[in-house]
Amino acid sequence: MPSVDNNASPPSTKKPLYEASTQFKNWRYSPDHLAHIRSTLNEAAVGVIRKTFEAYEPGSSSNVSFVTADEEHLLVTFYIHKIGQLCGHFRFPEEVEATAASYLKRFYLKNTVMDWHPKNVMLTALFLATKTTNNPISLDAYTSHIPNTIASDVLDLEFLVAQSLRFEFAVWHAHRALWGIWLDIQNLPNTPPDFAKTESAIYDSALTHVRAARLTDAEFIYTPSQIALACISLVAPDLANQWLESKENTPIPESRVDIPPRPSSTAISASLEAIRNMITNSGKVPHVEAVREVDKRLKLCKNPEKVVGTKAYLARKAEAEKKAEEKRNKKVEGQKANDRDPFGQELGEPAAKPGLVDYDDESDDE
Amino acid sequence: MATKSNYGWLQGRTVKKGGNSSSNPHSRSITPQVQSTSSTIFGGGIKDPSGRTSEYFVRHFVLFFNLSMDDQCPVCKSDRYLNPKLRLLVSSCESCIDRLFTLGPAPCPICNKVLRKLAFSPQTFEDLGVEKEVAVRRRIAKEFNKRLEDFDNLRLYNDYLQDVEEIAFNLVNNIDLPATEARIAAYKAANAAITSLNIQREEAEALALKEQEELQRREREAQRELIDKLETSQKDAHKIVAKSRVAAAKRSSARAASSNANSGILGMAFGAEYTKLLKTRTTKANNNVPDVPHVPLQDDWYAYEDLYTVRAGGYDDFFSDAVRKDREGIMRAGGYRVEEAWNRALLSAVAGLDIMTAVWTSAQSQSKPLDVDVVMESV
Repeated sequence: MPSVDNNASPPSTKKPLYEASTQFKNWRYSPDHLAHIRSTLNEAAVGVIRKTFEAYEPGSSSNVSFVTADEEHLLVTFYIHKIGQLCGHFRFPEEVEATAASYLKRFYLKNTVMDWHPKNVMLTALFLATKTTNNPISLDAYTSHIPNTIASDVLDLEFLVAQSLRFEFAVWHAHRALWGIWLDIQNLPNTPPDFAKTESAIYDSALTHVRAARLTDAEFIYTPSQIALACISLVAPDLANQWLESKENTPIPESRVDIPPRPSSTAISASLEAIRNMITNSGKVPHVEAVREVDKRLKLCKNPEKVVGTKAYLARKAEAEKKAEEKRNKKVEGQKANDRDPFGQELGEPAAKPGLVDYDDESDDE
Repeated sequence: MATKSNYGWLQGRTVKKGGNSSSNPHSRSITPQVQSTSSTIFGGGIKDPSGRTSEYFVRHFVLFFNLSMDDQCPVCKSDRYLNPKLRLLVSSCESCIDRLFTLGPAPCPICNKVLRKLAFSPQTFEDLGVEKEVAVRRRIAKEFNKRLEDFDNLRLYNDYLQDVEEIAFNLVNNIDLPATEARIAAYKAANAAITSLNIQREEAEALALKEQEELQRREREAQRELIDKLETSQKDAHKIVAKSRVAAAKRSSARAASSNANSGILGMAFGAEYTKLLKTRTTKANNNVPDVPHVPLQDDWYAYEDLYTVRAGGYDDFFSDAVRKDREGIMRAGGYRVEEAWNRALLSAVAGLDIMTAVWTSAQSQSKPLDVDVVMESV
């Protein structure tokens, strides 16, 4: 889904680097598309779980009230907020927090909270983020600081999370773009030299907006630079405009014919406006009461196959084991079929072992 | 006898190990004492603890390798059964070689090539291929001894090395032998001066090295002596030390004088200058070989490089304060450069500014199945 002006540009034009990122290629959606994914995912999950309920206790699913797509999203948002708290506790850098939040969000575009509760996935996502952003922490240190958590809680889900992320761990972050804009503003001609010191409040409140944006779907719909710019424009609209105009008016070097046109402030003003609205309207931590209510219902409608100790869980486990057993047997048989001693036939003593067995048998008989 | 000519190149080249014994009257193998003399020309072989030379071959062409009872001299047909101490010199037994070549060069009884007794060299390696390669390389190294200093640029030197390697390869594998020999001869004629000069230089270097080692040895000895003296003698320690110091000073001044006298003839100063002269004369034509300019990796991505510049004077930046003020550079260990972090931030500030919201129609969802179920099923 390349953007419009890219289609219009001549073929000799080089492609912007951001469009090479997996974030652009695989994790960019329109708002409708996001809503569609969430609703179909929810429907599919409810269908599967309802079937499971019926399979073990017919009629039991009729009075279960399953959580809706919106409620799922509410829960996920709440645990993104939790990630922020955990990161504060561990003193992880901003990058870890942002990456873990992105992982959690992306994970729930492929999975449902009814299968995997976000309170568990959150821990795994955060631990994975420490590793992918090169801020490693030992698993023991990590779990010992989180109550009621053991190493396997974190590790068991790790592959699932990585798989759901399609192993695409690199994330472009808005906070880095914000830093870049902040640095670049110092380059504007009419910026006073001590700007960064005197006006640091602008940066600080823009950063709180970036953090708020993390609770929204902004990163799925807009690019990090747009989000960062919108955050600045929420605090200092003139400054944001000035910077954007300076970018728009940067002359294209004559020697370069292979670069795309400059970003146009009129074209992206609508996007900026939408991001601003999104941050002010939905960039909030959900009410704990609402979350608690959803969580209570989630306990009743969790996929029984994923809840340790239930009939369905045991049945599924037994089935999985049976399958594994079959696979093993098949493997053994396959080996037996061409079962010849890799070192060739024994020399000289043909039945050394059978002889022993016979001997045993005889003694048994006696 | 397909391999007959393989070792023809060994003609005229000897590795002499045992001294002059071609006239040794005892070198006939039928006489038992020959076995124990290591002074025959063939005597460089593997010795057992008693000092005897055990089975061992000198060869002209590759024929007999296995030390078995089947080994037979192709000339006199004697074999190990008849003479258990038979020493095969590859094509014939030692006695035959003695008999055939005592009167100087004679034709080989098998291939009729004129050979000398000296042409038989002792074998060091079990694999004759290795043996041959070593001999070829020994020969090549003697003539192709140019060094990097003899060339104007690395490119020429590398070409030269490539040529040498090619020649060696050809000789080892018998490819195009006449042409290769011609090449060697041409090279020899053209570079006689440099070759001999380099030989001189090598000798001078070896000599200098030897001298230095000798010097170090003497130095150590003097030290040892001094310590011994201090240990055993009853004299005043200060006096002994002072005495040895004087001796050391004398030695070093004598050394300086002698090395000055030598350097004019053998030292590197002369060699280097002469090479320089040769160099300018021989390779004047090739002097201006232009260096190929480095072409950086090219790809089709636009990295917004014209949309931003990292300010040369740096930024007023709270985040990198600690790193920049880190005097010892502990935080910059591993090559961290704050400019790169700035560059990355600036890049992500301008990256994708112009990208519009994705357009999605519900029709797309049909064509693009959700991989949601896949994940759910797979677990």
